[in-house]
Amino acid sequence: MNTIQKKIWMLALVVLVMMIAIWLTLTFYNQKIQTQYNDILQRYLEMNEITSESQQMVTDLNNYLLMPSDDTQSSLQASRERLLDVQSTVYGLRNVENEFALTNYSHLIGSFIETVDRSVSFQEEGDTEASLTEFTEANRISMYISEMTLTIIDTELKTYEGFYRGIIEQSAELKKLGVWLLLLITAALLLFTYLFSLSITKPIHQLTKAANELAKGRFDQTIYVDSNDEISFLAKTFNHMRRNINGMILEIQQKAQLERELQDSKLLLQQSQLHNLQSQINPHFLFNTLNTLSKKAYLDGAEETSDLLVSVASLLRYNLKRMDRAVTLAEEEFVLRQYMEIQKARFSDRLQFFTELDSGCLNLQIPGLTLQPLIENAVIHAIEPEEDGGHIWFRIKDQQDEVWIEIEDNGKGMSSDKRQQLLEGTIVPAEGHSTGIGFANVVKRLQLFYGKDDLVAVESEIGRGTKIILKLPKVRGTTNHDQAVDSR
Amino acid sequence: MRKKVIIVLCSLCAVLGFFTLWSAEGAFRSDWQLPAAVPADEESYRLVLITQELETPFWEKVGAGAAAQAEQEGVILDVWGSYGNNREDFLKQIEIALHSKVDGVIVQGLDTDEFKALTKEKAAFYGIPVITVANDVPVEESLRKTFVGSDHYAAGKMLAEQLVKEMGGSGQVVVLGDIEQQYSQQQRLQGVTESLAQHADISTVYAESGKSDEEIVAATQNILNQHPAVEAFIALNANHVGPMMKEISRRAQLEPYYLYSFDDGSETASLLEQGKLDAMIQQSPEQMGEQSVELMMQWLRNEVVPLESAGYTTDIRIVKGAEAQP
Repeated sequence: MNTIQKKIWMLALVVLVMMIAIWLTLTFYNQKIQTQYNDILQRYLEMNEITSESQQMVTDLNNYLLMPSDDTQSSLQASRERLLDVQSTVYGLRNVENEFALTNYSHLIGSFIETVDRSVSFQEEGDTEASLTEFTEANRISMYISEMTLTIIDTELKTYEGFYRGIIEQSAELKKLGVWLLLLITAALLLFTYLFSLSITKPIHQLTKAANELAKGRFDQTIYVDSNDEISFLAKTFNHMRRNINGMILEIQQKAQLERELQDSKLLLQQSQLHNLQSQINPHFLFNTLNTLSKKAYLDGAEETSDLLVSVASLLRYNLKRMDRAVTLAEEEFVLRQYMEIQKARFSDRLQFFTELDSGCLNLQIPGLTLQPLIENAVIHAIEPEEDGGHIWFRIKDQQDEVWIEIEDNGKGMSSDKRQQLLEGTIVPAEGHSTGIGFANVVKRLQLFYGKDDLVAVESEIGRGTKIILKLPKVRGTTNHDQAVDSR
Repeated sequence: MRKKVIIVLCSLCAVLGFFTLWSAEGAFRSDWQLPAAVPADEESYRLVLITQELETPFWEKVGAGAAAQAEQEGVILDVWGSYGNNREDFLKQIEIALHSKVDGVIVQGLDTDEFKALTKEKAAFYGIPVITVANDVPVEESLRKTFVGSDHYAAGKMLAEQLVKEMGGSGQVVVLGDIEQQYSQQQRLQGVTESLAQHADISTVYAESGKSDEEIVAATQNILNQHPAVEAFIALNANHVGPMMKEISRRAQLEPYYLYSFDDGSETASLLEQGKLDAMIQQSPEQMGEQSVELMMQWLRNEVVPLESAGYTTDIRIVKGAEAQP
């Protein structure tokens, strides 16, 4: 991973390397020029030294000739050595331009030394006159040496003039180069710094934008940062957080949905309980009265009337007790039978009630008071208005993992529009229901109880009757709803 | 915005980079190379050509010829000398050359004792061969190895014959020479007088002059005063022609006079072109230079031993003045 720290180090290193490279180049170059310059200067100094040395030697020789002693001889010897030294140095300075002049020069010095030597040896032999002649000669040669030195230095100056001018021009050029280099480095640094800062701020900008999006509540956009440093890591973490939050929000939304449904069911329950409460005192009083009436009828010998009263009383009791609790299909069927007894007493032959029961399904749990309102509907719509009465079929069938409860009548039926309205629960329950519980209430409670829709089917045709089928699963879907209902 | 900034910065970098490279190229390119050093053990032959009259047309040509030959031979040759017949300086140059132990000295002969002392003693002492060029000094007196140059006796004769051809068999001829006569001038004089002596009707007057212009003018005046009938002038020393001619033209027309000289003066060539000089002896300075160097090298390489001590003559011919030419 390319960290920001690394980037900063890189920038610093690049700048450092550039500076060092430039410094090294310039230093090396300066050194080179200075060396050349020193070499040339050295030549002049050495040539000049020859003039002074030769003159010194003439003086020494003169001293020696005038006063031959060990002192003067040794000083003459010393200056001779020095001159020989310088001679060999000068000989090494030859180049293509001055080969002729310097070779001559070197030999001239040689001749001078030889002449001096001759002068000394003549002196030692006692030939003073010859010695003096040689001394004069040496003096003359020394003069020639001086002149030639000047000529050679002059020539050298001419030879190196171009070189000096070159050095001056180059130092001017170097100054210009320095300015250009400074400008270039400035521009390059600006560029590098800009790119570098961009590589840091751009991801941050992207991140800020993403944070703004999140702040506005848009959790579904992926956060992408075009970088590979710490900010990229931050962005990845941020993105992860966004995904988690998104997931949580979805969950909360689902929970809220459930909560609302629960609220609905509670409302329905309270609605039905309210109905109950409205008639709470009446039923208890009625219940007791019915029981008393039953006993009275029995004592009076009207047994049939007594049974009927018992049926009414038990139905009443069931209505009071079973509202908010799951019951078995068998209990529900028993209440149904009681109810039908009452209705039979009312309609006598007009009401034909048929049951087909699969006894294996009677343990199925269903919400209380679901079947009775449906049967009541059938009685109200199929039997009451008909002069000749009608038939009502009640079937419980085992359909693999579902239990089908069919309630069929042969009344006048209904239009498909009405059927649709019925299923959507937009029909207000008509008066005359014993429990005050309508079709819509039943369907809704079934849906809440099983946790799924599509439990009720209605088949109807005008003039042919109506068939309501409850398709109840043997295994209940959502448990939480059941618990919520059971916990009351 | 971002892209714009980057593009601007990039182009700025590119432009500055270009200028920097351009400037660096100028700063680090050294167009001046130091002269190559010569190895200490390498020493080629050094020859010196020494003349009394540097930068005269005649000696320039000698020098050019010598330099060309030296280059061909692969030896170093330098031309030294004095300006305007400065003898002291000339002799000093010879002395320096000898003390510098050059390998060979090619020198314009000077018929003086000092010169002879130098060539005889110093040169012999250092064992340096001396070749005289253009002007000779007899070998017995100078111990030169050889001489390269014109045969002055023949040149004098040739000039005299040309004079006779143009002037005719009779007339008075003035021959002007130096008081201090060089060996070569003596030979010229000898050639002229011997040639003119064959014609009985031609009378020869020999006049002498010093070196300075005043002396030459004075000598010319003297001649014109003493010999008003003079018809022709022969200047043995080519340097006398200029002042002499000026003096003549001051007093009379130049045309009637026959003026003759040699080509080794500083003015003769231009005077000839202007037509003031009727004819002169043209020598071969380039050939002298070339041949002298060639002979010197042959001597140094022991190819021709000994050299012809009588000398090697170079070509001479008569050149007429512009007016005389068709």
